[in-house]
Amino acid sequence: MEYVNPEGLRLDGRRPMEMRQLRAEIGVVSRADGSASFEMGNTKVIAAVYGPREVQNRSQQMNDQALVRCEYSMANFSTGDRRRKTKGDRRSTEISLVIRQTMEACILTNLMPRSQIDIYVQVLQADGGTRSACINAATLALADAGIPMRDLVTSCSAGYLNSTPLLDLNYLEDSAGGADVTVGILPKLDKVTLLQMDAKLPMDIFENVMQLAVEGCKAVDSYIREILLENTKTLEIHRGV
Amino acid sequence: MLKSKAFSRQTRQGKVVKEVREHYLRDDIYCGVPYCYNKKTEDNDKGCDISSARLSDSPSTTILVLDTNVVLNQIDLLENPAMDNVVVLSVVLSEVKNKNIAVYNRLRALCSNSLRKFYVFSNEHHKDTYVTAMAGESPNDRNDRAIRKAAKWYQDHLGDAASVLLITNDRENKKKAIEEGISAETIECYVKSLGQPELLDLIVQPPSEDVIMDDVEDLRPSKRKVIYNEHKPMSEITSGLLRGLLHQGKLRVNRFNPFEAYVGSESIGDEIIIYGRANINRAFDGDIVAVELLPQEQWHEEKSLALADEEDEEEDVHLAPNSADDAPRVMNQGQTAPEETKPSRPTGRVVGIIKRNWHSYCGSLEPMPMPAGDGGRAHALFVSKDRRFPKIRIQTRQLGNLLDKRIIVAVDSWDRLSRFPTGHYVRTIGEIGDRDTETEVVLIENDIDARPFSAQVLACLPPLPWSVSSQDLTNPIRQDLRHLRVCSVDPPGCKDIDDALHCMPLPNGNFEVGVHIADVTNFVHPGTPLDDEASQRGTSVYLVERRIDMLPKPLTEDICSLRSDVERLAFSVIWEMTPDAEIISTRYTKSVIKSCAALSYVEAQARMDDSRLVDPITSDLRNLNKLAKIMRQRRIDRGALTLASAEVKFQIDTETHDPLDIGMYQIREANQMIEEFMLAANVAVAEQILKHFPLCALLRRHPSPTKEMLEPLLRTAEAVGLSLDVTSSKALADSLDRAKGDDPYFNKLIRILATRCMTQAVYFCSGDLSPPEYLHYGLASLLYTHFTSPIRRYADVIVHRLLAASLGIYKLPGVFQDRPKLTSISDNLNYRHRNAQMASRASVELHTLIFFRKRPTDTEARIVKIRSNGFIVFVPKYGIEGPVYLTPKGDKGGEWTVDEKQQKIRKLDGSVSYGVLGTVRIHMEVVEPQPNRPKLQLTLV
Amino acid sequence: MVGLSVGEKNFIKGGIAQDLRNDGRKRLTYRPIYVETGVIPQANGSARVKLGETDVIASVKAELGKPRVSHPDQGKVYIYVECSPTAEPSFERRGGDELSTELSIALERSLLGGKSGAGAGINPASLLIKEGKVCWDLYVDCLVISSDGNLLDALGAAIKAALSNTGIPRVQVREAASSDEQADVDVSDEEFLQFDTSGVPVIVTLTKVGRHYIVDATSEEESLMSSAVSISVNRHGMICGLTKRGGAGLDPSVILDMISVAKHVSEQLLNKLDSEIEAAERANEEEP
Repeated sequence: MEYVNPEGLRLDGRRPMEMRQLRAEIGVVSRADGSASFEMGNTKVIAAVYGPREVQNRSQQMNDQALVRCEYSMANFSTGDRRRKTKGDRRSTEISLVIRQTMEACILTNLMPRSQIDIYVQVLQADGGTRSACINAATLALADAGIPMRDLVTSCSAGYLNSTPLLDLNYLEDSAGGADVTVGILPKLDKVTLLQMDAKLPMDIFENVMQLAVEGCKAVDSYIREILLENTKTLEIHRGV
Repeated sequence: MLKSKAFSRQTRQGKVVKEVREHYLRDDIYCGVPYCYNKKTEDNDKGCDISSARLSDSPSTTILVLDTNVVLNQIDLLENPAMDNVVVLSVVLSEVKNKNIAVYNRLRALCSNSLRKFYVFSNEHHKDTYVTAMAGESPNDRNDRAIRKAAKWYQDHLGDAASVLLITNDRENKKKAIEEGISAETIECYVKSLGQPELLDLIVQPPSEDVIMDDVEDLRPSKRKVIYNEHKPMSEITSGLLRGLLHQGKLRVNRFNPFEAYVGSESIGDEIIIYGRANINRAFDGDIVAVELLPQEQWHEEKSLALADEEDEEEDVHLAPNSADDAPRVMNQGQTAPEETKPSRPTGRVVGIIKRNWHSYCGSLEPMPMPAGDGGRAHALFVSKDRRFPKIRIQTRQLGNLLDKRIIVAVDSWDRLSRFPTGHYVRTIGEIGDRDTETEVVLIENDIDARPFSAQVLACLPPLPWSVSSQDLTNPIRQDLRHLRVCSVDPPGCKDIDDALHCMPLPNGNFEVGVHIADVTNFVHPGTPLDDEASQRGTSVYLVERRIDMLPKPLTEDICSLRSDVERLAFSVIWEMTPDAEIISTRYTKSVIKSCAALSYVEAQARMDDSRLVDPITSDLRNLNKLAKIMRQRRIDRGALTLASAEVKFQIDTETHDPLDIGMYQIREANQMIEEFMLAANVAVAEQILKHFPLCALLRRHPSPTKEMLEPLLRTAEAVGLSLDVTSSKALADSLDRAKGDDPYFNKLIRILATRCMTQAVYFCSGDLSPPEYLHYGLASLLYTHFTSPIRRYADVIVHRLLAASLGIYKLPGVFQDRPKLTSISDNLNYRHRNAQMASRASVELHTLIFFRKRPTDTEARIVKIRSNGFIVFVPKYGIEGPVYLTPKGDKGGEWTVDEKQQKIRKLDGSVSYGVLGTVRIHMEVVEPQPNRPKLQLTLV
Repeated sequence: MVGLSVGEKNFIKGGIAQDLRNDGRKRLTYRPIYVETGVIPQANGSARVKLGETDVIASVKAELGKPRVSHPDQGKVYIYVECSPTAEPSFERRGGDELSTELSIALERSLLGGKSGAGAGINPASLLIKEGKVCWDLYVDCLVISSDGNLLDALGAAIKAALSNTGIPRVQVREAASSDEQADVDVSDEEFLQFDTSGVPVIVTLTKVGRHYIVDATSEEESLMSSAVSISVNRHGMICGLTKRGGAGLDPSVILDMISVAKHVSEQLLNKLDSEIEAAERANEEEP
C-alpha cells in the first residue's frame, strides 16, 4: 500500500511532516472545574477536570501531595464499527494510567496536599492519535481549572511508513502496521515525559521518528498557548477589565 | 505548516461501514511549467516553485491534459516519445489504478522517467481544482468534472503563455469541455495533427466502434457467427464461487500445446485441465479465470479435442530441457494409455474472466498477400513468438513494411464473434531472423532490462581509476591477506571474477583453505540507485554473444573483479581443514587480497596434470583438488545427486558474432574442484546467517521432486528394464550410479532425463518457511544459499550484507525488518533468475538455428519419447531436442503402432521398430516452410 | 450531587411558587435550546443538544441485521445511553450505569412505541430490506457530556435531531443468494434513505416541586422534586409514552392535568426544536 505517493503527499493530502488540523476549545463542560475539547483532524476528545477537592476515599488521602486520578472512556460511536465498549477494559485502563502518570508529572501536587484532582477524558471520535489528543485536552482542562503546573504537557505521535517518517498518524496510517511513536514533552523544560512505541524500528530511524514527534509536540504547544492566551483575553473582556 | 482546510469524504466498502477520511487541500501544488509567469520569487512566495517543473520549457509546445479513458486505452501510444509534455492528474491516476494496475504502473514509470515530460498534478489536493460531488452526480461524472476543472485551471493559470489541450475520447466530456471554454480534442484528431501517420497504428480502436468490427468481419463473412460462449457477469461469478459451483484460479497455458491449459484451483486442491480453444474461451495465459467443471464422464474427451482442433500447430526443435520447469508438462497417462482404471484429472471450461493479464506480445505477422490498393488500412493476423498466446488481429497502414519484421502488438479486446482477439501495433523491433532483432525479442519476452545504466546509477560508482586505499588497509574490520598465495580459476576469457582460492599447508599438517569473494557490498550500498537497479535486475544475463550485466561494467570487470596481480577487496571464508577435509574451524572476514594468477579451467587442469610442474601454485591446486575430491565423495555419500545437463558451447566469430562451432561443454576436474569449494562456502555462510537472523536470512532451497514429477523417468527406465529407487535422494543417487548400460553414454542420458524431472532451486526468506523445508534436495544439504557470485547475482549481495551484519561489522539494512518486502525481493530474484535462464536458452536456440542455416548435418541422436506418429529425439552433441516424424503431417500414424509399456513404436508389418533411449541417425537442416520463418528440421537418415 | 442548604431550598421553592425561578424563568419555560447536527461524521446521523448547561450527543448508526421472527416485516431500533464521568465525577467506573439504564429504558418507552411497533416515532417497517431476511438495525447511542438536569428531554431532543440528520445508504438484495443465511447486498454509494422524523415525539418532563410543577428542571431543582412525569407527545398532540419517576404518589386528576399541560408545552418545544434542527442542517449544508 502506498501511504506516501511519489508526489510526496499522504493519502489525506498532507506532506509527511505535517500535522492534521488542530482545534481546541476551553470550557466545554461548564459544570466542571476545568474542561476543554481538543481535535486533531477527525480525532476529537473532551477532558473535564474536577478538583482540587476533598478526597472521596479517605484511605487514598496523602498528607504531602494531591491525589491525581484519571479515567479514559470511549463513546460507543467513536469508532467506525459500532461496539459496546466495556468500561475498564485493559486498553482503557492502560491509557488512563498513561495519562495520569503524564499529567501527575507536571502538576505541582505538593501544593495541594490532602486533596484530589480528577481528570476525565472522553473520546468522541477516534481517528488515530487518541492518546496524544487526550493528553493535550487534559493539559488545557487542567489549565482551565487553574491547577498549578510546572509546564504544559503536549503530545504528538509519529510513525514510519514507506521508508518515510510521518507526523501525526491517522487511523488508516496507524493500522498499516508500521511503528507508531507517541511522545509527550514538557516544552519549556524541554523534557520528554511520555514515550511509547509499538512495532520495531532500527535505532537510527527511531531517532528521526522520535525527533519528528518532538517537533510535533512543540507545534501543539505553541497552538495550545495561543488558545490559552485567547481564552484569558476573553475572560478579561468578560470581567470588564 | 498547515495551510489546508479539512473536510471529509465518505467511502463505503463491502460491509456497510461508513468511513470518514480527511482530505486536505493545499496551496503549494505547482503547475510544473518551467516558464510559469507566476513563479516563486523573492517577493512572490505564493507563486509556483518551478524547481520541480517537468514540463517542456518551450511555450510553443502544447500542454496535454489526459482524460482517464485515453490513458486506459492508449498507453502504448503514450509510451511513444511522440507524445510528450503531458499533465497527468491525480484523479486520472487513481481512476487508472482502480481499473488497471498494469497500465497504472506503466503510467507511473512514464512519470518518473526523466527523459519524458510527464508531470503529475495533484489536482485532488489543490485548493482551486478540487471538486465535491454534487447531489445525484455519479463518481464518473464528478471525476470528469474534476478533469475539466484542472484543464481549465491550467488554461487560466498559464493564460496566453501556452496552449493547453484536453484530450478525451468521451464525447460528453469533450462537449462539456468545449462549452466551458476549454480546448479539447479526441486522441485520433490530436495524433493526426502531429503528421506522423505511423502513430495512427498505435491508436486502439475502442470495441464500441462497431463500424470497424464490421469491416473486419466483412472480409470473412462465413466467420460471422458466435464462436465462444458468453462470459458470465461478475455477480453471477461471485455467487458461483461462493457456492462452490465455480472455481477461481490463474490460467496457465501449456507452453507446448496452446490448446491445453491448467487452472490451479485452491477450492478443489488440484489443477483443472481445460482442453480446446472453445473451453479456454478467450482466456489468456496468466488471466485469473472462473472455471466450471465438466461432468465427470466428459473428463476423457480431451484426446480427440486436443488433436482435432485446428491448424498446423506442431512442435519445433528446441533446446533440451534442463529441469522440469523447461520441459513440456507431464501429461496424465490416460492420454496415451486409455486405461479406464486410472483416475482422470478434473476437466473444466472457462465461464468468465475475473482479471485479464493482457500485455504486449512479441512476434510477427502471418504471411499474407498484399491487399489491393496498398496504403490504406489493412487487416493482418499477428502470431506471437510465445506459442501460448493466440493469434491477434490488428490493422495497419504499413503492412508491406511489417511483413518481414518482428513487431510488438498489444491486445485490446476479444468478442464472442471473432476467433481471434483484436489488438494494435505498438512498435517494430527489426527484421525477422536478424540476430540482433531476435536477441532483442528474447530479451523482451523474458522481461530483461538491457538498457544502459542511468546517470544516477553510474553516479554511485567510485571514481576511476580505483585502487585499494590506505583507509581500506587500516580499516579494523578488514584483514590484510595480501601475503597469501591466492589464485582464481574460471572459464576462459572470464572478466568478472567473483571468486578466488588459497590453500596453505599448516605446520600441524592441516590446511588453511580460503574462499575469497569479491566485496561488492563495499561499493553497492543499500538504498542507492545502484542498489535499486541491481535489485531490480537481480542477475546478470548470459547470452551466447553478449552479457547483460547486473552492475555497471567498471564494477564487474575492474573494481570488484579479483583479477591477478592487483589488490582487491574481498569477503573471505577461511577454514582450517584436516588432510581428510574435515573442517576444524571456520571464520569469516572482510579482507584485502592480491591474486597471483587468474587461471582458466583448462590451464588449471593442465597444471595439475603436468607432473613436471612443482611450483607453489600448482601444488596448492593439487592440494585443493585432493580436498575437493574427498568433500565431493562425502557429499555424494550423503545423497547428493550427480545430475547432468546437456550444455553446449559456441565458438563465436569475433568479427561477425556468428557461431563458428558448437559442441558439448566439457566438465573437468578443475571445474568440480572450484564448484566444491563454492558449495562449501555457501553452506558455511548459510549456517552463519541463519544462526544470527533466523527470520530474515535469504536461503536457497530445492524441493524434493514428487512421485508424479519422476513418473516419466520411471516409465522410461522401466521400458529399458531399469528399476530406479526414488524414495530418497540418496536412493535415487545410488540407483543412478548403478544404471550402467552397454553404451558409455547410457548413464549420462539417464541422468539427463532425471535432471529434467526436477524443479529448479529457489530463493526464499527463512521466516517464510519452516526449517524442514529449507532442504536443498539436489545437494543433499540441509541449508544452502548463494554467497559466491555477488558480481552477477543480487542474492549474493543480500547474503553478503547479512553475513557482514552477523559479524557485527555493518548494520543490517532496514529492508530486513520488512518481511513482505523481503519476500517480494526473493520472489523477484526467482523470477529474474528464471527469465535469465530462459533467455540464455533462447539465445542458444537462436544461435543453433543460425549455425545450422549454412551447415546441414547428419548426426547421432537418442530417442527420449515415443509419439503416435514418431518420436522425440535428443541430440547430445548439440544439446537440442525435437520431433522426428515417421508419417507425413496430418496422417495419424496408420501404419505404425505404439507399444506403451515398452515405449516402442513399430511398423505394422513388424519390419522396423524404435524404442526409447535407442540410437538413430538423423539429418538436421534449416528449412523455410513459409517465407521468413526458418526452422530446424530433423529427419531420419 | 447537589448540596443545598435549607435556605437555598426554600428560596428555590419560594421562587417556583411565585412563578419566578431562580434563573429568572417561569415554571413552564424551557432554557435556551441549542442544536448542532452532524457532529459525529462516522455515524449515519448525529446531533448535539445543549439545554442550558446540560449537554448531550446522540448518534445513529445503521447496521445490517435480521428481522425478529415475530416481526419479519420490521427493522429494529436500539437506544443506549452512556453517562460520561465528565458530566459528574460520580459516573466514573460503573457509577453511571444505573442512571444510564433508567434513561435508556425511558427513552425506548417514549420513542419506540409498543412491542408491535405501533406508536413508534420511526416506522420500523421502513427499515426493512427483505422480509424475514435483511433489515436495518438502528443503534442510537447517546452520551451525556454535561448534566444540569432534565436529561431525558435533552436526550429525546438530541435523538430527534440525530434522526433528522440520518441518511442510510440504499441497498438492494442480490437475488442469487437463496437459502444461505448471510444475505448478499449491493450498497449504493450515492443514494440515501432519509427518515420522516415529523412523527418523532418530544419528551416533556414535568417535575413536581412543592405543590407546583415545572418543566426543564435544573439539577438543583431536581434535587427538590417529589415526583416527575415524562410525557412524550408527537406533532399531532398524541401521547406516545409516559413515565412517572420519584417516590411520592400523585393524584390521578393531577396526572391528567399534567398531561394537558405537557401537550400544550410540547407544541412550543416542537416548533422551537424543529426550527433549530432546520437551522443546524442548513448550516451543515453551507459549511463545505
